[in-house]
Amino acid sequence: MANFPPVDGSTEPDEPRDDHGRPASGVEQSDLELVRRVQRGERGAFDLLVLRYQHRVIKLVARLLRDPSEAEDVAQEAFVKAYRALGSFRGDSAFYTWLYRIAVNTARNTMASRQRRPLEYEGNLNESEQSAVESRMRHMDTPEATLLSDEIHSTVNRAIGDLPEDLRTAIVLREVEGMSYEEIAEAMECPVGTVRSRIFRAREAIDRSLKPLLD
Amino acid sequence: MRQAFAVAAVLCVALTTPRAHAGAEAAEEWLQRMAGALASLNYEGLFTHSTGEQSETMRIIHRVEGGRSQERLVSLDGSGREIVRTPEEIHFYMPDRRVVLVEPRSDDGSLLKALPVPGPQLEALYTLEVRGGQKLLGRAVRALEIRPRDTYRYGYRLWLDEETAMPLRSEVVDGDGKAVETIHFTRLETRGHIPPQRLEPAVDATGFQWIRAGKRAEPMVASGGWRPRRMPPGFRLVGSRMQVMPGVPVPVHHLIFSDGFASVSVFIEPGAAKGPAPSESTRAGSANTFSTQVRGHMITAVGEVPAATVRDIATSLAPVQGEASSAAPATVPRDR
Amino acid sequence: MKEQIREQMSALLDGELAASEVGLLVRRMERDDELKRAFSNYVLAGEALRSPGGVLASAGFAARVGAAIDSGAPLPAAQPAPERGPLRWKRPLVATAVAAGAALAAVLLVRPEGEDTRLFAERAAAPAQTSISALPVGGSSPTPAQSQRLAGYLVTHGQYATPLGRRNVWSSALATDPGIARVTYESVETP
Repeated sequence: MANFPPVDGSTEPDEPRDDHGRPASGVEQSDLELVRRVQRGERGAFDLLVLRYQHRVIKLVARLLRDPSEAEDVAQEAFVKAYRALGSFRGDSAFYTWLYRIAVNTARNTMASRQRRPLEYEGNLNESEQSAVESRMRHMDTPEATLLSDEIHSTVNRAIGDLPEDLRTAIVLREVEGMSYEEIAEAMECPVGTVRSRIFRAREAIDRSLKPLLD
Repeated sequence: MRQAFAVAAVLCVALTTPRAHAGAEAAEEWLQRMAGALASLNYEGLFTHSTGEQSETMRIIHRVEGGRSQERLVSLDGSGREIVRTPEEIHFYMPDRRVVLVEPRSDDGSLLKALPVPGPQLEALYTLEVRGGQKLLGRAVRALEIRPRDTYRYGYRLWLDEETAMPLRSEVVDGDGKAVETIHFTRLETRGHIPPQRLEPAVDATGFQWIRAGKRAEPMVASGGWRPRRMPPGFRLVGSRMQVMPGVPVPVHHLIFSDGFASVSVFIEPGAAKGPAPSESTRAGSANTFSTQVRGHMITAVGEVPAATVRDIATSLAPVQGEASSAAPATVPRDR
Repeated sequence: MKEQIREQMSALLDGELAASEVGLLVRRMERDDELKRAFSNYVLAGEALRSPGGVLASAGFAARVGAAIDSGAPLPAAQPAPERGPLRWKRPLVATAVAAGAALAAVLLVRPEGEDTRLFAERAAAPAQTSISALPVGGSSPTPAQSQRLAGYLVTHGQYATPLGRRNVWSSALATDPGIARVTYESVETP
């Protein structure tokens, strides 16, 4: 039988790829390390996981619920469930993959308990539908909160625009392209230590500009 | 490739012939192509399995050797359970219970067994319809709809890859048209060769309890003393055997009923608990079960059919001979 | 010193911190809200870069999650929908006489938590009839022994289903147990 290219691409656009053929990325390993610590009783390690994934989980849940104003409550429930179930996480998938599923199921249960059908395969939303859902989410907030969210985005954009080019390149390659330090070092033709330092300084600059906003 | 052309030629003929059954024939062709693909191709994929309440990611690996199917099904982000079907046995690993269930393989290995039988019998129970021109995950697919003519069975919506007829997405659908169970592939590869190591379980079963069924079951000709008095339309007895089930101390009658597409197993365990026990209905995805006590036996019907159907089948069984037992619960009415 | 710690936080976010250094950093961050805040802003920077104008968690979200975990409060069970019309799901079963040709009564299946009942469609008239003349006692989750027995039945039955049916049945057997909904009837009338 002739080979044909794999049927690739999931219907949920940021469905984390669970490709067991590839070695785990740095972030996946880091997550696993944190999970192990939580399993050994270090509660603080879970806080870091929450901080790392809070925006993504809320964004995911907001897409599934018809009423995005509940997204934070449902996301909170998902995180709590994950914490309680962490004992049974065996690490044969990435942590975020596992968390992602819990969030999806929590959102579906919420929908089911409200006798409503969740949006199936919301991944089929195109760009404009996507941003419509997201702007609906923002407008469910109080006017102050909406303003704050917009301000955060414009502050971050401005701060990034003000960065020296090498810092900006480093953080964009890391956050947007998902490259490892080693890959960035190769791309920018500098040592790994320099990459680490540049990304750190870029983040510090953004943190400084956000501080007055969020205090 | 030649196979595809041959099928395409048949479809062309079917489409241009203004016969009333042309549509059904094309759909039946696709149904058979799909069943053949599932049984005969080497493939590996990731899919999302969803019921109304939860969804899980699973991996499936299927390989064929010497005309026999082997496969491995793994839950990736849920229970961690696995089913491995080797040439000789079925192993069901349940790491959450630290148990492995082992059963001998019962099919004779023929790839063509248990394929839906097209023809008037199937058409009496289901309407089939196929539509082309759709895309799923970037591939051209045929949408095949199998609609039951009554509520004794489930319907199916299948999206079949044009080239291989593999179902990239399948929905089991209830009487309201709601998907009871959905399998949706996010990754699928067909390959010329899958190494046997791919079928080894990932579960480390050290220290697990291994629960084995008895030796290979003997098929029986008759239904072994139990007969259904009334059956939902279209279901016939197609198989009958005795088996020692893993974890059940006495041999169990296993009857198999089928309407040509859906199947229901009935397990009859003698020596059930004394005194009346409540009947039970359970559902897992599209599989419904119904357990009830009849004449001191525990009867369990299991099948990919709606709950009321397994209930009807389970409650329609009675021993061929014998009077009503005095131990029967008072609520069971006398035979008419 | 402070700066060194913050740089470690930045590396941890990227998964580029040595495992041996993670422990100390986690403990430091646990005690220091300022460090947590900075980490949170580092995360924010990445989100803003990836989806400009996208949804963001509100300021106290992570703290609220922490509080919910610490309080050990029970997870909110699926709440029934607020009153918005007649509660048409909760009709009891109707006893019907067993008579040839009579349509089956509608069957109610109760979810384990007791809500979200589902009304099956009325059956088409058919020769084979049975009826249930009992109210469901209530739902519950199967015991481990029962779900194991059930799993065994699903596995055996799967061998006799079509390849498509087998995949569905076995996938359900693999799924985590809460996927199984169970109903108990007090008695069943058999004709």
